[in-house]
Formats: sequence, C-alpha cells, structure tokens
Amino acid sequence: MFQLFRKNRMWRARPLKSRYRVVIIGGGVHGLSTAYYLTKLGVKDIAVFDKGYLGGGASARTTAIIRSNYLTPEGIPFFDQSVKLYEGLAKELNFNLLFNQMGRLDLGHTDAAVYALRMRTEFNRILGVDSRMIGPAEIKRLVPSMTLREGLPYPIIGALYHPPCGVIRHDAVVWGFGRGADRGGAELHPFTAVTAIDRANGRVTGVETGRGRVEAEIVLNATAGWSSDVARLAGVDLPLTTHPLQAMVTEPLKPFLDKTISSANLHAYVYQTDRGEVVIGGGVDPYPSYSMRSALLPMEQLAGHTLEMFPCLSNVKVLRQWAGLCDMTPDYAPIMGAVDGLDGFILSCGWGSWGFKAAPAAGRNIAALIATGNTPDIIKPFALSRFHQGRLVNERAAAPAAAIH
Amino acid sequence: MPSSNNPGQSRLEPQPGETIDRAAPVEFRFDGRPVRAFRGDTVASALYAGGTRVFSRSFKYHRPRGLLCCAGNCPNCLVTVDGEPNVRACVRPVEPGLRVRSQNAWPSLRLDLLSLLDRLHWLMPVGFYYKALHRPKALWLLARRLIRRVGGLGSIDINAAHHTEFSSRSLHADVAVVGGGPAGMAAALAAAETGAAVTLIDDQPSLGGHLRYTRLQAVNPRQAGNPKDELAAAVANAPNIHALNDATAFGLYQDNLLAVHTPGGLVRVRAKQVVLATGVQETPLLFDNNDLPGIMLTSAARRLASLYGIRPGREAVLAISGNPAATAEAYQTALELLDAGIRITAIVDASDGASGEAAQALRDRGVTILTGHRIARAVGRGRLKAAVAAPVGSTGYADGRRIRCDLLCMSGPLYPMDALLQQMGVSQPGVTLAGCATGVSGATGLDEATRQGRDAGLRAANPAPNPAPLPEPLPAPPAPMPAGKGGRAYVCFCEDVSAHDIAQAIDEGFADVQTLKRYTTVTMGPCQGKMCGRALSAICAARRPLSSAEWETKDRPEVSGGGDLFTTSRPPWRPVPLAVLAGRERMPLKRTPMDRIHRQLGATMVESGPWLRPHNYGSPADECAAVRQRVGIIDVGTLGKLEALGIGAPQLLDRIYTHRFSDLPAGRIRYGLMTSDNGVILDDGTVTRLAADRYFITTTSGNADVIEEWFNQWNAGGDNCAHIVNVTAAYGAVNVAGPKARETLAKLTAIDLSPDKFRYMRSARGEVAGVPSLLLRIGFVGETGWELHFPAEYGEYMWNAIMEAGREFGISPFGLEAQRILRLEKGHVIVGQDTDAVSTPLDVGSEWAVRFDKADFIGRGGLSIAAARPAQQRLVGFIMPPSTAGSRIVPEDGTPVVSGGRPIGRVTSARISPTLGRGFGLAWVPPHLAEEGASIQVLIDHRPVSATVTLQPVYDPQGLRLRS
Ligand SMILES: Cc1cc2nc3c(=O)[nH]c(=O)nc-3n(C[C@H](O)[C@H](O)[C@H](O)COP(=O)(O)OP(=O)(O)OC[C@H]3O[C@@H](n4cnc5c(N)ncnc54)[C@H](O)[C@@H]3O)c2cc1C
Ligand code: FES
Repeated sequence: MFQLFRKNRMWRARPLKSRYRVVIIGGGVHGLSTAYYLTKLGVKDIAVFDKGYLGGGASARTTAIIRSNYLTPEGIPFFDQSVKLYEGLAKELNFNLLFNQMGRLDLGHTDAAVYALRMRTEFNRILGVDSRMIGPAEIKRLVPSMTLREGLPYPIIGALYHPPCGVIRHDAVVWGFGRGADRGGAELHPFTAVTAIDRANGRVTGVETGRGRVEAEIVLNATAGWSSDVARLAGVDLPLTTHPLQAMVTEPLKPFLDKTISSANLHAYVYQTDRGEVVIGGGVDPYPSYSMRSALLPMEQLAGHTLEMFPCLSNVKVLRQWAGLCDMTPDYAPIMGAVDGLDGFILSCGWGSWGFKAAPAAGRNIAALIATGNTPDIIKPFALSRFHQGRLVNERAAAPAAAIH
Repeated sequence: MPSSNNPGQSRLEPQPGETIDRAAPVEFRFDGRPVRAFRGDTVASALYAGGTRVFSRSFKYHRPRGLLCCAGNCPNCLVTVDGEPNVRACVRPVEPGLRVRSQNAWPSLRLDLLSLLDRLHWLMPVGFYYKALHRPKALWLLARRLIRRVGGLGSIDINAAHHTEFSSRSLHADVAVVGGGPAGMAAALAAAETGAAVTLIDDQPSLGGHLRYTRLQAVNPRQAGNPKDELAAAVANAPNIHALNDATAFGLYQDNLLAVHTPGGLVRVRAKQVVLATGVQETPLLFDNNDLPGIMLTSAARRLASLYGIRPGREAVLAISGNPAATAEAYQTALELLDAGIRITAIVDASDGASGEAAQALRDRGVTILTGHRIARAVGRGRLKAAVAAPVGSTGYADGRRIRCDLLCMSGPLYPMDALLQQMGVSQPGVTLAGCATGVSGATGLDEATRQGRDAGLRAANPAPNPAPLPEPLPAPPAPMPAGKGGRAYVCFCEDVSAHDIAQAIDEGFADVQTLKRYTTVTMGPCQGKMCGRALSAICAARRPLSSAEWETKDRPEVSGGGDLFTTSRPPWRPVPLAVLAGRERMPLKRTPMDRIHRQLGATMVESGPWLRPHNYGSPADECAAVRQRVGIIDVGTLGKLEALGIGAPQLLDRIYTHRFSDLPAGRIRYGLMTSDNGVILDDGTVTRLAADRYFITTTSGNADVIEEWFNQWNAGGDNCAHIVNVTAAYGAVNVAGPKARETLAKLTAIDLSPDKFRYMRSARGEVAGVPSLLLRIGFVGETGWELHFPAEYGEYMWNAIMEAGREFGISPFGLEAQRILRLEKGHVIVGQDTDAVSTPLDVGSEWAVRFDKADFIGRGGLSIAAARPAQQRLVGFIMPPSTAGSRIVPEDGTPVVSGGRPIGRVTSARISPTLGRGFGLAWVPPHLAEEGASIQVLIDHRPVSATVTLQPVYDPQGLRLRS
C-alpha cells in the first residue's frame, strides 16, 4: 500500500557509454520487453534507443487486444505462450496492467467465413487453445447489444468464441517493462535516434546515434513500422510494407458491452474499455505510407460498419481518431530471429497490426536467443529465411482484407 | 410554482442581439421536472435561467459541476437528451417536449452517493490504478468489475435503431473559410470579390463569431450598431459564397479536405485554399476548487448575458491571468456586465497596473480592481460562496483576502484555436490563419482582425507560388501554478486531474508531455485538451527541467527538452456522432431481377455476401440430377459484370489478369485469373471479347465493386485509353445447363447452337425469346450450357420463357447448393472458399492460366519467385470411404487434415457426390501427399478418418460432356 504514496522514479537518465553488449533499436513494447527479459537472464549491458518517447510508436496507438486464437500450428502455440505470460505479468512487474480478459467473438457472416472460423476453432482446440463455435442464440445471449442482422446482408450466422481474449492498458505494459528493464540494469535512452549500423566482416559492430557512436556485439531491430528502413541501414532487405492503421474511440458510456467483437467481413472490431469508451478499429489502410495522420474515409467506413453491428451506437460520438504504422508481412506472421549472413543482427519485427499481444513471448524468446546464441524452437518458424525458402506461415486466413489485430 | 420552472427568474431586461424570443415559450423536461424556456434558448441556458447551477457530476470523483465554457467545449454540461448520451446542453437548442436527463449521478444530481469518492481522493494519487489492486489477482478481478460499473458517463438504450437520416455529401471550393466571425467574413468577401467560389463554414446558428455576444458600446458608447450585421448581409448577398451555418469543421485532412458536421450530415469540403479564422479559446485558471459551480470562463458569462438575456450571477468577481489579450477582453466584459445590471464585487488582476480607458471607466463606476493579485482558492460546497485573492507570488492562502461572490469569471490565457492546423502538422501548403487565431486580440483588435481576414481571403483567392510559412504555434505562457499544493486545482475537468497530480507524475519520470498525458489521462477526456492541453504543456515546460538533478544530466540536453511540448491534435475537433460519420446505410441487400419468382417457387433463400440467393428449391440432390440428366436453370445475376472499353482496354486486361487477352479474337471467351502483386489469387471469372475495343468481364459474386476499384486503381494516372463500367445491376443472367440445354434454348432463338457452330468458350449476341442477349458458352457445372446476360428488366420474363421452353425436357431450377456440389465434382475452385490469402494459381493447379511469356502483369514478380521453389501446400481432391451402416461421412468445410495429431492441412469444401455416392471434396495438403491415391486423415467429430487423394475431377474428367 505504501508504494501508492511514494514517489517512485520509473527510470533513470544515464550518460551514453561508448560500448554495450546489446543495443536495442526501438523503445516500443517489443524493445523494452526484450530488454527486460535479457536483464532477467543476467545480461545487463544493454542500451535501448528510441528516436522519440518510450512506447511512442505503434505501442502508443495500439488497441491492445490480446488473444491466441490464431490459425496456424506455428502461430497458435506462440501466441498462447504470450497470453499466458500476460496473465502473470502484472504480478511479475508489480505494476497493474489493467488486463481485462473479457473474451472475444469473431463473427461469421457467410458460409465461407463460418468455414474459416470453424477451421480456426479446430486448429485451436487441437493445440489446446480455448475456442469454440457458437450460434446466433448464444451470440445474442453474450452480446445483447449487437444486432444479428437477420434479413440483412451479412447476417451474423455464427461466431468463434475465444474466452481468454482480453485487452490491456498498453501504456502500462510499456512502462512496466521499461521500469523492470531499468531496475534490472538496462539503460533506456529515449529521444536518441539510430542513424547508421556499422558492420565489419559479416557482423554488426555498433550503431551511430544522434548522440554519438556506440559499439555493440548484438543489435536488435525492434522498430516495427520503421523496421524495413532500419534493416536497410544494415544492408538487409525485409519483405515488409508499412501501412497506416486507423482507430477511434468514443465518449465514455456506461457499460453495455463486455466482449471484444471482430468482423472480418465488415472490416471492423469493437470493444468497450473499463472507462466506458468504445474503441473501434479495422483493417490497415490499403496503401503503403509512413503517415500517422488521420484519414477521413477510413473513419467514415469504420463508423458505418460499427453501426451495422451496433445500431444502438448511432448517436454516440467519436472523440478521437488516430493512426499508427503497421509493418505488414505477406503472410501476416512476424519475423523473429537471426539473419543469415549478418552475425549479431537480430530481428523482432513484422508485427503488423497484431504484435502487441506478442510482446512477452517475443521478448522472452529473443532474449534467450541473444543470451545463448540458440534460437528457441517456438520462434524458429518465424525466421526471415522463410521468405526465401517458401515456408510462409499463413496467418492471413481467407479474407484478403481481414481485420487482423 | 417551483423556481426552476420560471424561465424569467434570472433573466435580464431584453438585451440587444439576444437570440431568445421572449414571446415564444417552450417547455421540456429535465430529470422529470418541467422546465420552461424561450425559443432560441439552449437546454443549458433555460436551466440556468430557472436556477439550475449543477449540471453534471465529474467523471472520477463525482464532484458537482456547473457551466464552464457555455460554448460546447468542455465536459461540464453533458446530459442525455431523448436517449442521446453526452449531449452538451449549452449548445443544444431547446425544443418542445425534449426529455433531458442528468448523467453519471446516483440517485440524483444533487445527492450523488458516489461523491464519496471525492472524500477519498487522497487515497487515489496519480497513477493509482497502476500501483494498486493487482495483487492478488482475485482483488483485481473484483476491483475491475467495480471500476467498470462506475466508469462511463451517459448510457445508451441497446435497443435503439440506427439513425439513417444523415447523408454525406462532397463540395468543392476555391477557398474554404472556417469561422464566421469578422475575420472569416472579411476573408470570404475578399476572396469572393475576385470571383473565387467560397465556402464559409461556421458552427454558430448565425454569422458574427464573438461579435454575436460582444457589446462594443460598452467600451465605446459612440459605436453605432454591430459591424457583424453589415458583414453578414454582404455575405448573404454574395452569389459565390456558400455559407454553412451550424456547421462544425472537425477535421482538416490531407490535401485540404475539411470534414464538416452539419445538421444534415457530413459534408466533405475539398478546397484549393483554406483560411482558418477560428478565433481564440479561453482557458480556466488554476486555483483550488476552480471547478465549483459558479466559476466559469468570462466568455461563458458573456454568452449567458448577451445571447440569452440571463443574469449569470448577482455578485461577480473577475479574475485575470495577466495575459494582455485576455485582460482587454475581461475589462470589456466587466463593463458589459455592469451595463447589464450585474454587481461586480472585484476584479482580481494578476498584472501590476490596470491602466487604459476601460479600467478607468470601471473605477469610475466604483469597481474595486485588485492588481498584482490572483485567486488562491474558491470557497463553497457545491456552489461558489467566495473567492480568496492573494498577492501574486504568495504560496499559501494565509495572506488571502476573502471576497464574497456567486459568480467568478476566469480570464485565463487566450490561445489561438488552431487545432485544425495542428491536425495537419504546422506548415501546410494552402492553409492560412486569420483574425484572432493569429494572436490579435478579440474585440479591441477588431479592425486589425478584419483587415487580416481580408488579406488572407485575397491571398487565398490568388495564392502566391511560394506562400510564406505559417507561424509556429504560440509557446505556452508561463504556467500560473496554483497557490499551495494545488491538489484541488483542476487542470483537467474531464478526468479530475489536479496540478498537483501532474507535478507528481513529472517527478516520477513522466517528463515529456506525451507520456505525461498518457499517465495522468489529461487531455484524454471528452474535451480532448480544449480546456487543459495548454495548461498541461505549460506545467510540463515549467517543471520538467527543474524536476530533478539527475534528470538534468549534462550529457543529455535532449532529455530535459525531449519531445514536443504539445500533445497531438487529432480529429474530430468536436465529438461527432457515429451516425453522421456513417451517412446512409451503405450495405443494401441486393436482389436479382428474378427474386420474386424464386420466392414463388418456394426457394430457401440465403444471404450470399450482399446478395440474397436461392439456396435450393426443395432438394439439392434432385436439382443435381436434373442438371446431370436433363436441364437446369440457375439465376447467376449475382455475378459481377464489368465492361472494359477503349483502345487501351486490351493492354489494361493484359496487365491485370495473369492470362493474355490482347490476342483473344472477338467472340471468344477466356478464363481470367487475377492476382495481387505478390501472386496471390484475388478473383476469377470469364472475359469475353465483344469487339476490338470492348470486353465483357464477369467477377465472382459480391466482388464486383472491389474488382472495379482494382481496375480503376491500376488504370488511374496513366494515359491509357480504357474505361471500366460496372454493369452488374444492368444485366440479369441465368445459366442453362444439362444434356437438354441446347434443345431448350433452340426453341427461343434463331442463333445456331449446334455443337460445331456454337463451340465451347465462344459467345454470340442475338435475341433469345425476343430479348437482346449475350450468350456465353461456358460451364461451371460440367455440362453443355450457356450463360445468358440480358437487360435486367426482362429478368422474370426470360426466366419464365426458358422454364416454359424446357418444360417438355423436364427443366428444373437449381440453387446455390446444387451448383456447389456440381462444380465440386468438376474440381472447380471457388475463390475465397478454396483459396486463401496465400494461394497462388500454381498451388491450385492453374499454371495454365498464367502467361509468363507476356509483358509485365500484376503478380508476375511474386509468381516468378513462387514458380522457382517447391510449393508449400497443394489443393487436391479427396474421396471418403463408402459410408457404413447408413452414416455417410462427410467432413465439414474447414475441418483440419491431421497427421500424428497435428494439423497439416485443411478441408475447404466437402459434400456428398451424387456421381460417386460418397463424401468427397477439396483439401489443402503438404506437397508429398498431393499424389493420386495418397491417404490423408481428416477429422470428423474430432476423430481422424482416412480419405484418398485424387487429382482428377470425379465427374467427366476429360470434359467431354462440357464440350459436346
Ligand atoms: C491502430 C493500431 C491498433 C493495433 N491494435 C492491435 C491489437 O489490438 N492487438 C495487437 O496485438 N496489436 C495491435 N497493433 C499492433 C501493435 O501495436 C504493434 O505490433 C506493436 O505495438 C509493435 O511494437 P514494437 O515495439 O515492435 O513497435 P513500436 O511500438 O512501433 O516501437 C518501435 C519504436 O522504434 C522507434 N524507432 C524507429 N526508428 C528508429 C530509429 N532509427 N532509431 C531509434 N528508434 C527508432 C520508434 O520511435 C518506435 O518507438 C495495433 C497497431 C496499431 C497501429
Ligand atoms: S458548459 Fe457546455 S460544453 Fe462547456
């Protein structure tokens, strides 16, 4: 209780050293999570660099849905591990992350969509993830405020119900990991951009920052929307395109919805926060761009689709619309691990519009890779080399423009 | 009569320029009580006139809150009106019979039990939620439920229907002017004089801006009339000014696109040039209990008095921060209030000397001006009783002077209302600021503002090639930190965050404004920073470098100065209802021209994407048999239909499809497959060449719009002469298939249908049953057949004519289900059902439709790479073992294919084959299992069952029947 009233400094500012064992580029949830787990493995000589404030990239803009009802035999166990880590994270970091495992419905409006959901359910079930198909009556019972669209186009004819799904206070996750990393000995350097990556004899040797050059044995690229640019600093091409993703939030309402609702056909997802706001998101903008400004058309479409599910929200007002960047891979699965041909350069990117939920598992496994030099099995399928070898991990499902988050 | 019922109780004598019509009473209800108002009142003005002072309870501590801004910019007057939550009462006009309810208070606004939280506020320091309640986990589960229960403001009726009365429209303008004050009107007029088409956007019911509630005569008795009237009349007379009243420009998007919320719906204004004449924003002062009802912005008191003829208080104190523009406004207001008959007990001015005419005039009229003082705290419970003024610089209340008052007007710093500009980032070509928004001060700078507006309008009408960059936003003035700790000096009224909370958060390390915002939630509530954003920046700027020595590491100057000073300005500038953004229902249910007949035939209809289609007419099995043995007819009007026209059409098609179409002779048909740039299948259909410069294209059902867009996207920008016309709704279509299809159609047309004259994959145009039609000899179901396209209005007639002609051959309609079974027997793939977001034509065995020998096409790169490496998975047919003991076994679509308990593939479509009498289907399997006769395991009821792989269609593998 006393910690409540104590002024506890979250992290300290420290001078820049001239060399670190590990340099992490990107102070978002992935960079900080990796730093935290590294300190737990006893690796302390770490610097995290971010060009802006901590967690100011996609991690500040995320809608923070945490779930494991993925599609592939590679993805499901990985995301499942992450959800389980999230479940214990508030305790571990001694920081309330306001995790709310409200459960989620993925709606099916067509035969083809129901088929795809059934497939996901079956794959989840085989791999031990709690997912089930439910019909209209059960949907109505769980979400009385939603219309089933009977007699309308895209009626809701079934849903995949995934009880462990939750949403989390995303900034708290960033701060919690940041504080944990700082206490464990890692240095956090916000407002410090990395402008070059030095290499010699097939390995990385250090980075150039806005505040000077530092040497490093290991350089981790955890810069999400900027990761293809940052990889290029090391001469590595990533098969990524960066797209803006828009989201919006309404004024607070008294509670009326306690599930996360997602519809790939209607390109929208909706949930209500503990504060009462309705958070609305959709698929990424169709064109690649690095712009984080808002755009009008996606907002109009999101509003329309939201009302197709929740007509009762007609005169509820949107308070804020924002956008973040998503580093999209062709197969909608992340890129994790070492890079063939450039020793010491590690990737944790391709987090697209779905990566927040992966931060604990990715951080832990990449920390293990850095600390031991061995890639843990669970992240092996996600190596960059899969694109060269044609071993895609298809998390994209059938719908080419699915709302994936 | 209870006092709140009297609309005249707090009314002044009629005021010049008031908007109320005292001869037109209106009655509505507030929390069940009747309230009398005048037409022209807002809900809040009527309530205020009747004596209401508490309008809402605050979000976190449930503190009583009264009117603060009276301009729709703060959270203090949120009410529910006719079921619409979170309505700003101060800008919602009254209407007879409105049912207004207070929010976020239980059991009532006056006695809110949750205001207990206010007593416990010391238990909830900044960051409380992060620091507490998470251990043990069960505590959090419990606490969460409670928090969720008390969170939120207004509530909604979950059975409410969708409001569809709004529709969106788009306007174009040479010059768009936002803000209808003197500067905005002058800008619009100046631009219009040069001939420019001008759109003038103003959020008030009438033009005039702050002149609507300013009485210039108060300072200048010689001032005749109100200059706004002359300007407004000129605007009304200018034929090329399109004025939008009650219209809030809430977003400025890329390339000068303004989003405007009007009573009729969303208006998008795309303008060559934008002039923002949005005026200034007044902000609250910081002192303890600055949120007591009775304390309001000076402009709010002014609005109440001038627009609604209301006495905002009996004894008023004006508090001025010291900012010169705000000071001038405050003195002007003091004179206005005096003129209106309100007693001013004191003016508390933070600056050292109050000079100037207005100050002198006030002193002459007996008003005390306390210079060098500021308000240290307000006193009262639930309602203002007194204010304590203390010399600037004193840190406590000890030497304060208590002044009795029931109205305290806060003249905090004035900031330009440049939120729209900030949404775009600071310098935006084609956007200029004018008037008070540039920092010139309100009424006293009237001439200057008008002149500036005129200049801005002229410049916008005739933009210079290299416009001067816009000024940076004004730096935050030094933070007027409250006296004492400021634990009750609210910076953020939406979220109940005090100056003390912010200071503490900075000390904890949240030292840049972005993290500070996220940690304290300041600016994240309903006002989105309008009341609090600048104060947050100011406190952050003032405190951050001082917060701690270690934070000031020499090595790291950028830490103490790290990051922006402002939070990001985002749309919407004012909250906008979802229904306004959504506009008209955008997903109508589509029906084909034969819809009525299907119902008459008793078809079971299913929604298929946007369409309603017959699933079956009783028995899919019988329908299959009819097609295989006699003749069947299916409504395929749902197919997307596009025409590609122009001499560039062949090149466009060659570019978009993987196949080649430039060499397709007229009258021929070719299968068309299109892929995304990484080679993944997007859509398929047929392409018929009608003439050298004209193609008829079909797409999969429900995909027409997407594919049309895809075509247009790739066609845009170049000088290729090609046009895409979506004719989906213009044509009805049927497919007539089966051994007797030829005989059936021959009765209706003179076109020679004989096998050597009308060959497979050929087309013809001619009359069928007297209706001009396009006949395509193709077949999805594997029988001789024609797809007929004809004007949609003949749909029912055509259907009946064909049914009649086929009657002697035993014709039967067939639905979607029979078609799916029949096509599955032919191994035809349905895009989206059997393919997914990584399937390439190579994976599904359609290599033959990819022409690597032609010029570049979309997907070539991805497909070349895919062709060079082994496939990851393949789509194959499979056949289930014969059923045992009456239980046929067919896996459901989507069932996993497993090996050793792990999923290795999946079934995409499975049915019972009428031909085989067994379950069969299509499945994705690893390449090593894509062998004729290989055995795979599919899950049925969670049990693995063996099936046999086949690479041949189960029906007519050579396609003889199709071609016959
Ligand atoms: C609107 C939106 C909604 C989303 N919703 C969900 C969701 O519901 N569930 C989910 O799981 N995921 C969601 N995501 C995705 C998720 O937020 C991201 O995948 C995740 O936050 C990525 O974290 P990160 O740490 O890898 O990247 P970021 O948080 O983007 O951090 C990268 C950091 O790198 C820094 N950087 C870049 N270049 C440099 C350089 N040269 N030098 C130094 N620093 C640099 C940036 O400043 C940035 O802070 C959403 C994303 C968006 C945009
Ligand atoms: S008083 Fe109505 S919004 Fe401020």
